[in-house]
Amino acid sequence: MDDALVVAVLVLVAAAATAAVLQRDPARQAIVLSLLGLALAVLFTVLQAPDVGLAQLAVGSAVTPLMILLTVRKVRQRKGRPK
Amino acid sequence: MNWWLAAACVLVVGGLGPCLWGAARGTAGRRVVAQNMATLLLCLVFLLLAQGYGRPSYADLALVVAVLGPAGTLVFTRLLGDETGARPPGTRLLTPAVLIGAPATVVPMCIAAGPGRATIKLIFIGVLLIAGGAVTSWAVRRG
Repeated sequence: MDDALVVAVLVLVAAAATAAVLQRDPARQAIVLSLLGLALAVLFTVLQAPDVGLAQLAVGSAVTPLMILLTVRKVRQRKGRPK
Repeated sequence: MNWWLAAACVLVVGGLGPCLWGAARGTAGRRVVAQNMATLLLCLVFLLLAQGYGRPSYADLALVVAVLGPAGTLVFTRLLGDETGARPPGTRLLTPAVLIGAPATVVPMCIAAGPGRATIKLIFIGVLLIAGGAVTSWAVRRG
């Protein structure tokens, strides 16, 4: 019966990854990417690897979206600047 | 599978699934709200998993989510500020979800755990969740 939980989380990870690939705007993609990181953390925990989940959580929920959003902001500022 | 794991499974399918749907479509504001809701539900899922597997140390994951989840939402509201706008759809669901969800999960777990350090940790996580929910819903409402 524990398999039901693993299957549910696996389906969630697959759906989140597909949704992240299908986004066009990088800033909005970062939001879906953070959800993918959270779903992966649950998957690792369900597979009895909470230490890996902890690392994934720290990186996936805040750091990766922050870096992507800062990069997007920098690129947009440079584009908007008159030459 | 015990009842705790069954509840976690229901929360993953019925809670995180719709959050993913909300985060993948719609305006930037709606996506930020869905992401915030997902971190709240994720914290509850981790608490239920810790109880379901009988390993109180797994509650550390819930503690980390309770701290980092609001931080992530604040990052999004700060850096997407001009796109989200004030009061995106679904904002009014955030406060009731925290105020109902956190006690509904933490109180039964405290009763199951009995008095001790584990209970104090659970109460601390619950307080962090409610405080984080208050801060993020204020930030999202301001846009």
